[in-house]
Amino acid sequence: MDRLYVIGWDEVPQHITLGAGESLKATFVFPSRVDAALDLTVDLTGPGAELDLAGIFVCADAETVDIRTRVRHLAGGCKSNQLFRGVADGRSRVRFDGLVYVAPDAQKTEAYQSCNSLLLNEAARVETDPQLEIYADDVVCSHGAAIGYLSADELFYMRSRGIPEEEARRLQILSFLSPVLSRLPESAYSLIGFQR
Amino acid sequence: MIMEALLEIKGLHASVEGKEILHGVDLTIRPGEAHAVMGPNGAGKSTLSAVLTGRPGYEVTAGSVRFAGRDLLSMSPEERSWAGLFLSFQYPIEIPGVSMTNFLKAAVSARRKAAGLPELSAGEFLSLMKQKMALLKMKPEFAKREVNVGFSGGEKKRGEIFQMAMLEPVLSILDETDSGLDVDALKIVADGVNSLRTPETSAIIITHYHKLLEYIAPDVVHVLKEGRIVKTGGKELADQIEVEGFEGIDG
Repeated sequence: MDRLYVIGWDEVPQHITLGAGESLKATFVFPSRVDAALDLTVDLTGPGAELDLAGIFVCADAETVDIRTRVRHLAGGCKSNQLFRGVADGRSRVRFDGLVYVAPDAQKTEAYQSCNSLLLNEAARVETDPQLEIYADDVVCSHGAAIGYLSADELFYMRSRGIPEEEARRLQILSFLSPVLSRLPESAYSLIGFQR
Repeated sequence: MIMEALLEIKGLHASVEGKEILHGVDLTIRPGEAHAVMGPNGAGKSTLSAVLTGRPGYEVTAGSVRFAGRDLLSMSPEERSWAGLFLSFQYPIEIPGVSMTNFLKAAVSARRKAAGLPELSAGEFLSLMKQKMALLKMKPEFAKREVNVGFSGGEKKRGEIFQMAMLEPVLSILDETDSGLDVDALKIVADGVNSLRTPETSAIIITHYHKLLEYIAPDVVHVLKEGRIVKTGGKELADQIEVEGFEGIDG
């Protein structure tokens, strides 16, 4: 299943269970300039269940984005991937609290989680708290949370080709968001302030 | 006939993080000329190209640079590009998620806008891309690839010359374009550069080695050492360096 949820517009699930062989690809869009929260638990309860979860936020003003995910591997041989990308400008606040739990007998688990944010304004705040709780020993898990700034080298490279600074920054943001942006239909771009 | 200089550098001093790297560089380039700037590591070759293109972090402490009759140092990097300056980067930057087509569309349309020209239609732009890609012997899928992402060393350098072909500069700075290229890639790059040369366009070829200069013949060769041009000559100077190295050359 391939689902797209716009926070504040769509009915967003709070608890999803994936049984043996079931898979879900879900993408969550946090519209710009409104407060938005996601509190989601996904349980992988049968072998071969697969979760591909992504989220995107472009905070432009003073909004708060609150993301809380719990991905629980309760059976072995399941895969999960969580990929969040976002931008914090203005006086926005972003919180990411993500947990991956692997039960004692959930061997051969593959679980990945990353939440990368670009900080565009000194007044904006991003707090991330990625957590792994692993009780099985034969697993492949990774998590990461990076908060960064626009690359000066990229910016100069584009400007040296005659791309004006403002347009270059827009392309840089698109570049940073592209792993999640590529999952959205173009009709959803305007929700996060991009025109095509 | 005395032709007006395209680029005129006078007494240029420049620093990085408070440390002076260029200690008074003078260089004049006329339309149609190709100048080689050779020198050992740390001589200031890349600093010179950075200062000319307006890279942040480089401070000009003295001297002047005029380009096509304008004060180059007061212009932003994009204004320098619009005026016809181009730098082929020694280390081209990867931009994931942005295709070569979208990247160059942004660059070409900004440049045309600055020149007061109408925007190219999608069809006109794509046929321009195709024509220039053929020149550099690039495969059609290149247009769809993300800027420099997953490119080999040779592809990156060929990509730089392709961008040069798209932007049609009047002065191109090739910063160590030969580094990391095998002979075949070097020939493709050199053929590309040569085919873009016109009586009005000029080039600064920055290199350690004499190899590239066998394919792109320079009119003038300069040796840059410790932030100064210590010797200027013809092609024979590059041949002398090939044999003797930079040790014995100090003006």
